[in-house]
Amino acid sequence: MTRYLIRRLGHALLLLWGVATLLFILLQAAPGEFFTEMKLNPQISAETIAGLRTQYGLDQPLPVRYIRWMGSVAKGEFGYSFAYNIPVATLLWPRIRNTLMLTVPALIISWFLAVPLGVLAASRKGKWPDRVFSAGTSTLLALPDLLIALLFLLLALRSGIFPVGGMSSTAQEEGWWKSALDTIWHMALPVAALVVGSLPILLRHVRASMVEVLNSSYMRAAQGHGLFRNSLLYRYALRAAANPLISLFGLSLAGLLSVSLLVEVVMSWPGLGPLLIEAILSRDLFVVIAAVVFSTIFLVVGNLLADVLLYTFDPRIRMQ
Amino acid sequence: MEPLIQISDLTVDYIAEGGDVIHALRNVELQINGRETVGLLGESGSGKSSLGLALLRLLPGNAHVTSGKIEYRQQDLLRVDQKELRKIRGADISLVFQEPALALNPVLQVGLQIVDVLRAHCKMDKSQAASETNAILRQVGFAEPERIARAYPHQLSGGQRQRVAIAQALVCRPGLLIADEPLSSLDTVTQAEILELLRQLKQELNLAMLFITHNAGLLASFADRIAVMRHGQILTCGILEELRRTPDSYVQEIISPAKIIPPAMTATHSNGKPLLQIRNLSKRFQQHQILTRKKFTIQAIEGIDLTLHAGTTVALVGRSGSGKSTLARCCAGFEVPDSGEIFLEGGPIQKLSRQTRQQVQMLFQDASTSLNPRFTAEQLISEPLEIMAWGTKLERRERVVKSLQEVGLDPQTSDRLSGEFSGGQRQRLALARALVVEPKLLILDEALSGLDIPLQATMVRLLLELQLQRNLAYLYISHDLSFVSLFAQSILVMHEGRIVERIGPGNNFQGSSHPATQALLLASRSLHAPGLPLSQ
Amino acid sequence: MKKTRRLSLALWCLAGIYLSVICAGFVAPYSFEVQDRLHPFVPPAKIHFFDSSGKFHLRPFVYAVRSSDENPMEYQEDHATRYPIAFFTRGDEYQLLGVFHSQRHLLGVNGPVRIYLLGSDGFGRDQLSRLLYGGRISLLAGLLAAIFSVTLGLLLGSIAGFYGGRLDDLIMRVADLFIVVPWFYLLVAIRAVLPLQMEPAATFLLVIVVIGVVGWGRPGRLVRGVVLSARERNYVLAARGFGASGNYLLRRHILPSTWGVVLTQMAVLIPQFILAEVVLSFLGLGIGEPVPSWGNMLAYAQQYHVLVSYWWMLLPGLAPIPVFFAYHVLADSLHARLQSVS
Repeated sequence: MTRYLIRRLGHALLLLWGVATLLFILLQAAPGEFFTEMKLNPQISAETIAGLRTQYGLDQPLPVRYIRWMGSVAKGEFGYSFAYNIPVATLLWPRIRNTLMLTVPALIISWFLAVPLGVLAASRKGKWPDRVFSAGTSTLLALPDLLIALLFLLLALRSGIFPVGGMSSTAQEEGWWKSALDTIWHMALPVAALVVGSLPILLRHVRASMVEVLNSSYMRAAQGHGLFRNSLLYRYALRAAANPLISLFGLSLAGLLSVSLLVEVVMSWPGLGPLLIEAILSRDLFVVIAAVVFSTIFLVVGNLLADVLLYTFDPRIRMQ
Repeated sequence: MEPLIQISDLTVDYIAEGGDVIHALRNVELQINGRETVGLLGESGSGKSSLGLALLRLLPGNAHVTSGKIEYRQQDLLRVDQKELRKIRGADISLVFQEPALALNPVLQVGLQIVDVLRAHCKMDKSQAASETNAILRQVGFAEPERIARAYPHQLSGGQRQRVAIAQALVCRPGLLIADEPLSSLDTVTQAEILELLRQLKQELNLAMLFITHNAGLLASFADRIAVMRHGQILTCGILEELRRTPDSYVQEIISPAKIIPPAMTATHSNGKPLLQIRNLSKRFQQHQILTRKKFTIQAIEGIDLTLHAGTTVALVGRSGSGKSTLARCCAGFEVPDSGEIFLEGGPIQKLSRQTRQQVQMLFQDASTSLNPRFTAEQLISEPLEIMAWGTKLERRERVVKSLQEVGLDPQTSDRLSGEFSGGQRQRLALARALVVEPKLLILDEALSGLDIPLQATMVRLLLELQLQRNLAYLYISHDLSFVSLFAQSILVMHEGRIVERIGPGNNFQGSSHPATQALLLASRSLHAPGLPLSQ
Repeated sequence: MKKTRRLSLALWCLAGIYLSVICAGFVAPYSFEVQDRLHPFVPPAKIHFFDSSGKFHLRPFVYAVRSSDENPMEYQEDHATRYPIAFFTRGDEYQLLGVFHSQRHLLGVNGPVRIYLLGSDGFGRDQLSRLLYGGRISLLAGLLAAIFSVTLGLLLGSIAGFYGGRLDDLIMRVADLFIVVPWFYLLVAIRAVLPLQMEPAATFLLVIVVIGVVGWGRPGRLVRGVVLSARERNYVLAARGFGASGNYLLRRHILPSTWGVVLTQMAVLIPQFILAEVVLSFLGLGIGEPVPSWGNMLAYAQQYHVLVSYWWMLLPGLAPIPVFFAYHVLADSLHARLQSVS
């Protein structure tokens, strides 16, 4: 088991390194840099700009810059932000935490809703719960995520129940319990937007996997042996469906992370998303690379987790 | 005495998606008495499986019972409520399916699956259930039941899985066991073992059995009565001797498929120079173990010598893994041997032109994978001609029509997709395709093994006719020793990559010494398969 | 059967929508850039059949709107003059399909007044017209990007699957790089690589290329899988036995087996890519003013006062819904057909 994990981990690290390097090369080749704006400003002298460029090492050739950056990564700094003038990592950690605060609850809630509903729809295939289910998911699926985010924002503005944007409204001195509640209150709508966006596709996949399992011959054989209906559904069907469902986990996480970028921007949640957009518009190179790489790390970790779960639950994988 | 099961006037229809109605069972009448074994004999599509499933109401959703009754203990199984039905299934009447791999849940240990059946029907605590499970596993022939109980289905062999499935079916001591083609997915030796096991269990547990199969040989000394089914109806029912005397030709043929192959056709026609000659052929395969990164070599075939004359049939027989397929692929040119030589009409096979290579054609086991499902019958058969840029479009079409007629297919169906043909018809299509390039040697790599025995016999008859007409040579690969003895001039027994025995024409197996052959012979004998003289 | 009827309905819907946006010049009452600063944020026009004296008119009409003196943000109808809705009216000049010049529009109003069927935006531009022109950008971008992506995936996936070995490993490793990054993140990052300020035509092309490049990974992998399994099929082996060349095998056996996957991927990716263009434009990384795209139109709705008071500014977000619905029906039926063939 450990050998399996180590191999997957190594593979993942290689992938991350590939993504980072590819982005580094591509972004360096891009026209324009952080200081292009500054160059247009007549008030800032050329010497100042040149000095700043040397300070950030922008006057060095590409391979040298790459190695210096790799060194910074090894130190845990991940380069320097031109705009904020601090190590990228310092900038990133709070943002990463904030994005996780949205995506992890959304993931858990989506799965907790999708699995029972999907199983229900699959077991009553063709009858009215299933039809309602299909109609509902089809409709939700057709809603663009951007619209969903904007509608939730509208809800916040109109109803006044939920705060609009930001992470907290209380001052720092309040007790931790009050701060926690306050944060949850701020989180509610963004998480809801994420869930509504990712639920339909997850529901469909769960239902499809369950239908396939329920139609398989070993389910018919088990029925032929006179097993109880509940036992059939939960012990037999769900266990066998575990494999395709766990494989789905990675996909759903990927979708959720993607949409979180949008939701964070629209609902002004200070996560990785808005930071990335800001960095792109201002050409803050290392921030861009680090933000993308970190979002990938989440996905990779999620996939590794799914692999571990798969290993635990599916004996066929274990035997390989 | 009252019968255990009385089926009266049972009619079942399947409604396909397009609205077509298929009459699976028509006014079926059958009776099964306690402790009696009734054999249900029929080809694919005769409705025999549907009858078995109908007894336990396990028919698929699109099946409709339009009339009939199934009486069991004063109840009509077709109308009993769900609660009663659940109690009957597995405890009073049990079912064993054809493919044990599909009937077992792949993610649960097999022991647990047996325990589940126990606890669904009897009140038992865990330790009681465990000991009962071990007991039944021992009864089906496992020497180490505890180890097997902890195993997952994919860790067991085909024969072991079928034993587990039987254990599952019998653990609650039902009165009737329905066995739906339980041996079809196993190789001959294992088939004999499982049949013997069923015979034993029948006695020990006082079971009544409904044994569904297409292989009459199995039923010869196993079933008390045999019912023959065709097109959803029971043609006749009675003991074997009675059936042997019926005037109905279909019943005659299905009871003794060997009759389909007239012995006159199998006389030798060898003439001088050999068509195919193989000397000292060997081939190794390298395999990597994924996790440990060890490389190990498998010696697929070693030191093979073989001679084949035009107009004759040489059979290669052996268990799975004995190397027969590898040898076939080397002859067809799909694999390059590591050492040794293959000569076709005197010339080494590697140096031959593409034209000459066409003279060796191969038929694969599963016709559905060897034919592109998106091609029509005509496209399939004319493909080799197209590739070789032979003739004009019109000439090709004529060849195709001739080919179809030769193999017994209607040329009008040439524009149907290959997927729309039945299994046997697909194999005929594959044959037509192989013949269209006028080969001299045809290699049949278990090409007929997936077909029903009567259909196999019919196909062999066709092959023999063609052999006479075109002076073809056949290399027939199979695991069924007795079947090939019906028509092959010489039989080569393979074991672990070597040819261990050569049985020539006219030889009646008296001098066979090699244990592999003995095992195959023994299996055939106990299966009372057609072909071998029963006195041996 | 119900299913095929749903499918043909979906296809007709799509055809109708695409036709309307391609002929946006004709279908839209006005051009997308003509402003009317006197009439910002006019709500959608009320269409009347009965006039203020209760008389019924067969032809529907509208009233001109004027901002009230007390509150410049509120509009009141001026019942003095009726303006019937007419067909084939004369209006702003446009170019149909880049070739024909015309001034005829499908519908509009004759007279100095403008009819805002779906309201106006902050600059007094007609939302209906902008929706149609914007749809042209968003829908076509999505379609073209999907074609580009799937073609790239087909090409690379076939090469990887057919030739196998090192080449296969290399291509799949690169595909993995594109699959492993959460895809909106990758989208904006790759967009960042290219110049931010460009003229609209170039931006349009650029957006298509970027979206297409970002998305080739999954179709590529799927095609590779199909090609790999098709290559090992016995019928390919048999054809090889007849002396078929690699080209023949690819052409006759292997590539046809990829059509199912290709078409299904197209139906799945087009809506995704339409959304991608909308998102990019929304964030300011795609098409910019004055050319409308559903994305940059929605960007206005981000301002709180707009979002709360002017609901019609959200219409660009609702517009993709029927399109997505139709594509999902298409994808489902393609998927079902794929299952039944295999």
